[in-house]
Amino acid sequence: MVKLRARCLLLGDAAVGKSALCHMFHSDGTLFQKNYSMTTGVGLLMKCVNVPETNDSVELYIIDSAGKETLVEACEKMWGQPSLLCLVFDLTSEQSFASCSHWMERVHAHCEGLHVPGVLVGNKSDLSARREVQGSVAQEWAESQGLEYHETSAKEMENCDAPLLGLARAFHSLYQERRETIQNLSPG
Amino acid sequence: MIDSSLTSLGAKVVVATSSDENHPPENIIDGNTTTFWMSTGMFPQEFIICFAEPTMISAVTVDSFNVKHLKIEKNTSQNASNFAFVGEKELEHTDGHIQTNAVSLNGSSATHLRFIITSGYDHFVSVHRVSVQN
Repeated sequence: MVKLRARCLLLGDAAVGKSALCHMFHSDGTLFQKNYSMTTGVGLLMKCVNVPETNDSVELYIIDSAGKETLVEACEKMWGQPSLLCLVFDLTSEQSFASCSHWMERVHAHCEGLHVPGVLVGNKSDLSARREVQGSVAQEWAESQGLEYHETSAKEMENCDAPLLGLARAFHSLYQERRETIQNLSPG
Repeated sequence: MIDSSLTSLGAKVVVATSSDENHPPENIIDGNTTTFWMSTGMFPQEFIICFAEPTMISAVTVDSFNVKHLKIEKNTSQNASNFAFVGEKELEHTDGHIQTNAVSLNGSSATHLRFIITSGYDHFVSVHRVSVQN
């Protein structure tokens, strides 16, 4: 049994639903915050996720960082060195999807050359009539960035555990890969 | 003394911030570089070695992988508290083989040594052996 620990950045434009997703993660999918209150700093949520089909788990230290452009710079100081990335956009806002590549650039500056696995989350899947981003387009972009794609609705509590499981699995397989490398090292 | 493992001298690892039951912290002091303790994510990481009795130490040698910055503290107390800084080192990155680094501790006496890994070259680091030069 292993307990892994990962610092997970939760990023994306303002009002895409990062904090709402965070509430869903925290309450195991039972609590949707109805009133919008913009995150102006960073919030921290610790969530332990069991990796399916193993006895191992990953403690995710999720850093919910303000998406509003004018606040990002101040928040970046709190990001530290990330282990994982959860990038969120609003399926009803083409603009929030277009911003994702800017978020990727920002994150890379904090990774010190390390590969940081992650997920791309298209939120607000309940608003199907207002959808502006097609799943296939998002999927393709996610793959080009090495991210795993999920669609969620924090409001309808749909599929919200999928990104968490994806993150936990990705970090767990990275750990196993690195452990194998270390087992095969030659002496100094 | 470098040939005898710290375990055989009665030392113990009393604190470690990561645990993978297949790679326990005892592997650090068994004198064997094929066994290791591995960190399980995030920095800093640390472990504390407790000696059976106050021990004069001129230097320690650390065999590790992907450790970037290592800081060492010590005390002469029975408890693992009130540590004082004794040395630090920026380690070079190695590819495919273990990093071996000596850190001078100026021949001071210690009952506990605390190793703090403040950063790494990867998400995970390993420590294969700590040995002590008297």
